[in-house]
Amino acid sequence: MSIYDSILLGLSLVANIEAFLSLFIGIIVGVIGGAIPGLSATMAVALALPFTFAMAPINGILLLLGVYKGGIFGGSIPAILIKTPGTPASSATILDGYPMAEKGEAGRALGMALWASCTADVVSNLALIIFAGWLASFALNFGPPEFFALILFSLTIIAGVSGDSLLRGALSAIAGLLLATVGLDLVYGTNRFTFGDPNLMGGLNFIAVLIGLFAMPEVIAMAWDPTGHLGKARSLGKAWVTFADYKRSFKSIIRGSLIGVFLGSIPGIGAAPSAFLSYSEARRTSKNKANFGKGEIEGVAAAEAGNNGVAGATLIPLLALGVPGDVITAIIIGAFMIHGLQPGPMMFVLNVDIIYGLFMGLIISSVLLFFVGSVAIRGFRFVADIPKRILMPAVLILCIYGVFAVNNNIFDVGVMFAMGWLGYAMLRARIPAAPFLIAFILGPLLEDNFRQSTLMSGGDFTIFLRGPITWFFWALTIVTCIAIVRGAGRARKAQKM
Amino acid sequence: MAFDDLNRRLGVFALAFAGFLVVFGIPNWVYSPSNIQKLILSPLFWPYVLAGLLALVGLGLLFVRAKPDPETEVHPSGRAGWRRLVSLAVIMVLTMLLLPRLGMVWTSMLAFVATAGMLRTRYPKAAIICAIIMPLVLYAFFAHVAGVAIPQGNYVRLP
Repeated sequence: MSIYDSILLGLSLVANIEAFLSLFIGIIVGVIGGAIPGLSATMAVALALPFTFAMAPINGILLLLGVYKGGIFGGSIPAILIKTPGTPASSATILDGYPMAEKGEAGRALGMALWASCTADVVSNLALIIFAGWLASFALNFGPPEFFALILFSLTIIAGVSGDSLLRGALSAIAGLLLATVGLDLVYGTNRFTFGDPNLMGGLNFIAVLIGLFAMPEVIAMAWDPTGHLGKARSLGKAWVTFADYKRSFKSIIRGSLIGVFLGSIPGIGAAPSAFLSYSEARRTSKNKANFGKGEIEGVAAAEAGNNGVAGATLIPLLALGVPGDVITAIIIGAFMIHGLQPGPMMFVLNVDIIYGLFMGLIISSVLLFFVGSVAIRGFRFVADIPKRILMPAVLILCIYGVFAVNNNIFDVGVMFAMGWLGYAMLRARIPAAPFLIAFILGPLLEDNFRQSTLMSGGDFTIFLRGPITWFFWALTIVTCIAIVRGAGRARKAQKM
Repeated sequence: MAFDDLNRRLGVFALAFAGFLVVFGIPNWVYSPSNIQKLILSPLFWPYVLAGLLALVGLGLLFVRAKPDPETEVHPSGRAGWRRLVSLAVIMVLTMLLLPRLGMVWTSMLAFVATAGMLRTRYPKAAIICAIIMPLVLYAFFAHVAGVAIPQGNYVRLP
């Protein structure tokens, strides 16, 4: 099938009002979710997921991608107006965004955040379109040992970059892997940690675990401190972003977008490090270096380009290899699974129409984001006014309905509550939840490929080093482990000094 | 709570849990066919590997001090905070118990009102209106659009 045929197949899926509407609604929900401090883009995607069950696969996935993209931009609105990042990725935007708001230039900062976000989004989507297919065709040569080495590498990175402690990240990932062993054995069908309960034989429901981990802890944290969210929103001011501002920041925007693409395509790194790296590079090379941190518009542009550049790129490992690039794409895997799709190289062979439909939808999403974002900037006052002590009970009810709807099973609601308390305990103990969820998703894949490899070789471990692809991933894993340990050592030394 | 204390507690917990898995959990709760010759091919192997890794991480946590990070410190709420946490746990347990009996819509309404009340919302009337409308809207969507069989309970059934 030629590329033109693939494009036409994709067009046949997205060139209709339902697809546009899904994307549009997704972006609106995402911007609102990202703009409400305490909700976050991750939680917005998790809460939107159950609503996609009844939709056509492409529309459901487009809706979630819209929520993702909208959420990442939406997070910059409270970061600039109330110095509270709506998403962790927007933390770097505060550095110059809030000082601009204090000077009465919030509207200008938000305008630049929107322009930089949309530009970075386009760059990131193009990178996805160019690289995902190439990577998938390469991954078609993978067998179980190669996939095992790849997933192990992904887990190493996830454990290493999550949170401020490598060990607590690793603890979280191992807990996720352990929880993934609950259910019937993948090869022999014997019981593992099921305690004779039929509800546990299929393993724990992925949606219940993820909503429990990412939405419920916010509700529980609200019970602990119901007034912790209160903040004062700044007015937008009269100054607005100009084309001259955009032109002046263009180099930083493109650099930030490319940083986002590079870091986003590596599983597990996520948007926050990319935003900070982009910001620090912009500061290092800018003529207005001294103004950074005091309200420099180029700083806002760089931070936003860095975090939005990640959004499309995180889909590269997801679509090409079936490995989530970050927590949100880990949740989006759930949407693929629910619709009977398995992301990975075979999807480029079996569901090429959906792949190209997604590519086209993503390009359209950048344009829609621009229009929705422009309105959202002016409407934030209303979003900020939503009383959190009514919002959180609403989130609780949404979670109950959403989790029940997956399997029509009340047991899943109980799993979600239990995971919510676990997530809250992890929050209090500063154990990051992201490695837990990603390990929970990758755990069965890791074990399945490990078991298949050992069955193929009759228990001979040398199969895991059978060719250049496995050597490459093992080398990457070892190099990453060394880099993580050295980085942690250096940070410890710096702390002592 | 000192952070190195927290790390040590986590380390002790991880070690104890790994020990529990190796000594009791895996032998009793993971079943393996008796004709498997090599442990590596058995369903037991992977849980044992994970228990070993858990023990290693636990050991690491015992010996590595964590750096303090006041930004992520949870705001202390004292006794009132604990009371609210317990209340929320009770709301969740009651929700689980009432879901099959009262049905999802009515249970959700009660859970909404109870949670908003526990959080002492400044807008009680708005909370009650939301508590009534939201579960009904969600019921309409999931039952009539998504085709999900929402539990109706034993008393009042919705169309």
